[in-house]
Amino acid sequence: MQNNLELENKIAEKIKIAFQTAEVQVQRKQRIKVNLNEDLVHPFLTFAKNTLSYKHLSHISCVDWIEDNQFELVYILLSYDSLVQIIAKTRINREKAEFPTARNYWPQVETYEREIHELYGINFVGNDHLVDFVLEDWEDLPPMRRDFDTVKYSQEHFFNRPGREDAQDVRKTVTKHSGEELPDLAKIYSVRN
Amino acid sequence: MEITYDKNAQEILSTIKSFARKSSLWVIAYGTGCGAIEIPPTMTSRYDAERFGIRGSATPRQADVLLITGYLAVKTLKRVIRTYEQMQDPKYVIAFGSCTINGGMYWDSYNTIKLLDKYIPVDVYINGCMPRPEAVIQGFIKLQELIMNKKAEGAAKYKENLEWYRENQRKIIHNWRMPEYNW
Repeated sequence: MQNNLELENKIAEKIKIAFQTAEVQVQRKQRIKVNLNEDLVHPFLTFAKNTLSYKHLSHISCVDWIEDNQFELVYILLSYDSLVQIIAKTRINREKAEFPTARNYWPQVETYEREIHELYGINFVGNDHLVDFVLEDWEDLPPMRRDFDTVKYSQEHFFNRPGREDAQDVRKTVTKHSGEELPDLAKIYSVRN
Repeated sequence: MEITYDKNAQEILSTIKSFARKSSLWVIAYGTGCGAIEIPPTMTSRYDAERFGIRGSATPRQADVLLITGYLAVKTLKRVIRTYEQMQDPKYVIAFGSCTINGGMYWDSYNTIKLLDKYIPVDVYINGCMPRPEAVIQGFIKLQELIMNKKAEGAAKYKENLEWYRENQRKIIHNWRMPEYNW
């Protein structure tokens, strides 16, 4: 199964010829990863749709690289002819988080962009329907950003059951009462020792 | 002509009323969180909750019991409050699973509440993650006992302390666009 990557290599070759700055990598059977420059994403999407018959956009995802001060946008495409996935990745600036919408090629993108807009605060230019999606009346930082402190937020906004505010590991108390030793495996996985 | 009863007659009457109420509990079909998956086996032939007079009803206005089956996001809580306020007396709330008791596995989530009884009054809690249908039926039997002993007074508590409940609700629901129901 591993040695039969002909189809994948053929598609990767086509991408390499068209986009010479892109890093193309055949990850495994039916999966190609493409790292792109920010301005090459939309030419690439049109190229994939029109020339390589990638009719289906499965998903748009986002990763927060707070150390590099960047957001990574991940476009996952699928072709019904070859059944090979293309994962197109790009990095955008985190401070001025803006990116042109892909709604013109795939109308369903609107929903994914709404979700990313709500959870990461990225503004998709050209998408005029970036209204509330899952969170209603959210006033804080977008919650999936890594500088958002979810524990602090939940402690400030919601009530705690008395005695459970610190969210201690209950196994510790149980072993103390029963006079037993905590198993090694449990020690590894307990968050607060 | 005004009919007056003596004290004994009133007590007998209220006992009959309570018996009738506890023997036909209509549950509104409103599933929140993952616990709703335990309701179909409870209702169908294996556990057959209808033995105890527990049945599903379509709308909040016809229902007696509101079953909160799991975690509540802030967005869902709005709908739950509206549903609860539309229900007619007598009405009871059963909260289901550890998420409604202390947050459960969502104790650090930014969008789920941790204590349900600060927002709507809860008559019976069923613990577990998730409670099995046996536990659900046990919870209903507990509610029936409370109704028979006239201790299931959640709705009266809600009316009495409406200001306190409203204050808690408004704390997390920022844009308050809820209808004010007239009791």
